[in-house]
Amino acid sequence: MSIRSEPLIGVGRPARPVASLRAWLDSESVFSWLMMAPPILFLAGFVGYPLCYGIFLSLQDRPVAQPGVFAGLKNFAIDFNDPVFWRVVANTFVYTGVATMLKMVCGLGLALAMNQQFRMKNFVRAVLLLPFIVPTVLSTVAWMWILDPAFSVLNWFLIALGMPKPGPSWLGNPVLAMASIIFINTWRGLPFYGITLLAGLQTVPPELYEAATIDGASGWQRFRYVTLPLLQPIILIVTLFSVIFTFADFQLVYVLTHGGPQNATQLFATYAFDIGMGAGQLGLGASVALTMLPALALLIVALTIYTRRQ
Amino acid sequence: MESTSRRGFLKLAGLGAAGAVLSSRPISASTKSLTLLHESSFIKTYDEHFQKVLAPAYEKETGVKVTYELTSVGSLQTRVTTVAETGSGADITSNAFSWPFLFDEKYLDVSDIAEEAGKRQGGWYEAAKEAVFVNGKWKAIPFGNIGQLMNWRTDWFKEVGVAKFPETWEELYEVGKKLKAKDHPFGFELGHGFGDNHGWLYPLLWSYGGAEVAPDGKTVAIDSDETARAVDFARKFFRDTMLEDVLGWTDPSNNKAWYAEQISCTNNAESILWLGKRDFPEIGQVTDQALNPAGPKGRFHLLAPVSHSIFNFTQDPEAARAFLRWLTDEKQLSGWYAVADTYYQPFLHGYDNAPMWQVEPRNIPYRDAMATAHLPGWPAPASRHMAESVAKYVVVDMFAKACSGASTKDVIKNAEGQLKEIYRSA
Amino acid sequence: MVTGYGPVERLLRLWLPLVFFLVLALFPFYWMAITSLKPNAELYNTRMMPLLVSHPTLKHYVDLLTQTSFLTWTWNTMLVAVVSTAISLVFGVMLAYPLARMRFAGASLIAMTVAAIYLVPQPLLFIPLADVINRLGLGNTLTAVILTYPTMLVPFSAWLLLGYFKTVPKELEEAARIDGASRLQTMRRIFLPLCTPGFISAGIFAFTLSQNEFLYALIFLTKSSVRTVPVGVIAELIRGDVFYWGQLMAGALLGSIPVAIIYSFFVEHYVAGLTSGSVKG
Repeated sequence: MSIRSEPLIGVGRPARPVASLRAWLDSESVFSWLMMAPPILFLAGFVGYPLCYGIFLSLQDRPVAQPGVFAGLKNFAIDFNDPVFWRVVANTFVYTGVATMLKMVCGLGLALAMNQQFRMKNFVRAVLLLPFIVPTVLSTVAWMWILDPAFSVLNWFLIALGMPKPGPSWLGNPVLAMASIIFINTWRGLPFYGITLLAGLQTVPPELYEAATIDGASGWQRFRYVTLPLLQPIILIVTLFSVIFTFADFQLVYVLTHGGPQNATQLFATYAFDIGMGAGQLGLGASVALTMLPALALLIVALTIYTRRQ
Repeated sequence: MESTSRRGFLKLAGLGAAGAVLSSRPISASTKSLTLLHESSFIKTYDEHFQKVLAPAYEKETGVKVTYELTSVGSLQTRVTTVAETGSGADITSNAFSWPFLFDEKYLDVSDIAEEAGKRQGGWYEAAKEAVFVNGKWKAIPFGNIGQLMNWRTDWFKEVGVAKFPETWEELYEVGKKLKAKDHPFGFELGHGFGDNHGWLYPLLWSYGGAEVAPDGKTVAIDSDETARAVDFARKFFRDTMLEDVLGWTDPSNNKAWYAEQISCTNNAESILWLGKRDFPEIGQVTDQALNPAGPKGRFHLLAPVSHSIFNFTQDPEAARAFLRWLTDEKQLSGWYAVADTYYQPFLHGYDNAPMWQVEPRNIPYRDAMATAHLPGWPAPASRHMAESVAKYVVVDMFAKACSGASTKDVIKNAEGQLKEIYRSA
Repeated sequence: MVTGYGPVERLLRLWLPLVFFLVLALFPFYWMAITSLKPNAELYNTRMMPLLVSHPTLKHYVDLLTQTSFLTWTWNTMLVAVVSTAISLVFGVMLAYPLARMRFAGASLIAMTVAAIYLVPQPLLFIPLADVINRLGLGNTLTAVILTYPTMLVPFSAWLLLGYFKTVPKELEEAARIDGASRLQTMRRIFLPLCTPGFISAGIFAFTLSQNEFLYALIFLTKSSVRTVPVGVIAELIRGDVFYWGQLMAGALLGSIPVAIIYSFFVEHYVAGLTSGSVKG
């Protein structure tokens, strides 16, 4: 903690009104609250208010262009009786879970590979970030083409190797469709994981590795007992953000499959959009979106526990 | 850029208020302006015709400037929702499907304009009223239908001995089997698009006598033998004539497959032929269009109507009415329809024999289809529930799941459950 | 870092994985490039090897730049990204500095609330936000997105900067305070200049998120002149059920290149900022 020098300031000065106003403004709490006021007000207006309004909407029977009628928890009851809703829940968790794990593992692999000296390292690092940089909708349009059995290079090769034409239907088969969106999401998010983990790897002091080697540790043991524990905080943080993004993903599915085939790739965000904007049921749409919060709220708890432990 | 639009908006509101205060006649002497919302058309010249011909002509005649605001394909409903909810942003809008029912409370009654047009221009098709007649009032002026019909490769059909498009689904099925064996399968969308899936699945259901909801608009009627037969047909149709990939297709997929010469038959609007003639002339030459096949209970088509409504919060309702009346006049309509190459099939019988149909005779089936066209949810009247059923893909997924291997009993039970929930408050 | 491997080991440890990741990451871009250069006839030809082009043409690029508002969209996107990033950095500092340096009642509550805000999903907010935006008369203006993007950027910027700020030694600030500087002066003149890597880190991430955003732009920007690249390309290069694939791919490439160039200049700082912020934060 710093030396508390602040009380000394007021002591040596004459008690003029200006000085005491200045001192008041300089007190920790006044300064802090004044400084934080603009962003807090901004967030209150643009997030807080819409959030409350969204909660309010979800408790209403509110068709578009009509006044709302209070309906209590009726929208949520409708959702819970909707088989598609539960499919959406399952899809979103599977999508988020698998993609995150893949990104973590491959990101780590990428970081380890990049954590070596070679020429053009900076260039390679920038180039590897491209999937993360390109606007998602645009790369998704490219993937539409790449995954079309008639045009897909992968199918081309598989057919050449003997598979019957036209080869797997990447977006038509429900299981493959989910696999496809998981794959594209991984492709997109992997560079972020990789580069961030690389940053973490670079802060591991070499002496620790040397000490471990001297103690007779193998490469794998060095990784397991030196690298991983030190990387743990950063893995956790990156994972947290990645999970939040992936859970609320909209663009990828909206452009690629629009939730099909048969809702195999329907996620919370796309379903809420379809109900709110397509069916004009604003209250029901809000209720679907709101259901995302409990799952994410668990993450708040995890984050709080984690940061408290630090 | 648009950062001054807020000032512009206030200025407009101020002018409007001033105008309303100062004028004692419906249309004031000061220059007014109206905003018309439209979705960017597949046919660019259609939009250009409004911007370069119609709008200037109206301004010359009346001094009222009409701004044509274009949204992108697929986002018009979002825009109309925003305008309706906030009560500002546009005066007149176009609608798709049954939006007049969704936004009914915000639309003016335009029965007088509609009835006058019907009397003067040959009468309205029955189908036209389905989407715009709400509680006994015309809430929109029907404009045109964007038909979804069969597109087929005449050369490949000839190879298997078929010169005329089959009359019934069963006949089409037999042709499909032969064509698939020759590596020219069919490709009918079964995924989550907006047009090319509904375009054949609802007609298929109806042509076997199935229906989602009874004509009373309340009783869920999907669980029936008729529906089961339709589902069974769809399953074998998919299995024996199509590519597997259609299960995940969205609307552009069949266009892409057509130009890649992957498929020999599909359901689509006029876009395949139109673009084919322009960019792929050889394929365009062997592309033809036909009415949907008939089932045991008749032949049906999807109704995808475009109509125009006036928002009830418009600054000057009389000016908006006058404009819509002018737009619906034969002089304006005939020019606008012709420019769009019959992509919008007119709902007034007066245009049944218009010269534009002779420009490309292959489009004539689109006109004939209107006599048997209905909105999804038919025979129940249009409603919000119907919109929810469409947005949740109830019918599409019912067929698609069956094609994917689920049992007919299960998919129908599933759809019934969903529909009971959706029509809960009907 | 361990060095001194023989060539075979190096191949296995470095080159193979590297090539694997490079191919994985870049393959779709190669595809985009090839597609954007193929004339329509080749594009739809399923018999050709998809990875080659025999008659490359620049027609799609020309059409994209002359027949659509692509350049307008690019300008809009960059403008929105820069301003939103600036706003989110300023707000991020205003939140992070007190939380990093001051002790006051309610600090942990604020910290948790800001983190919680980050978890509120866009799909829940967009309907009410549309209402707010329209009440303010900002429909179809770039201001609409410039004001709404920071809602997703500020919490992350604040968190990242908070982590970074905590690693900056306090001695310089304390010295300034003893010399009589106010907190504001200390913050502006002494502290912030030390934090450039943190700003670059947060700024780059915010910039990327901003130019990638789709949902709010889809809802608020329906006129072509105010669209951003993601929405403009999807909306206008898709008419009805016809995709203008060649132009779409050209648009994808042209949309990513400016940002990639910016990244290549800043990636060093980006990593440095993340290092301090994430690892020790």
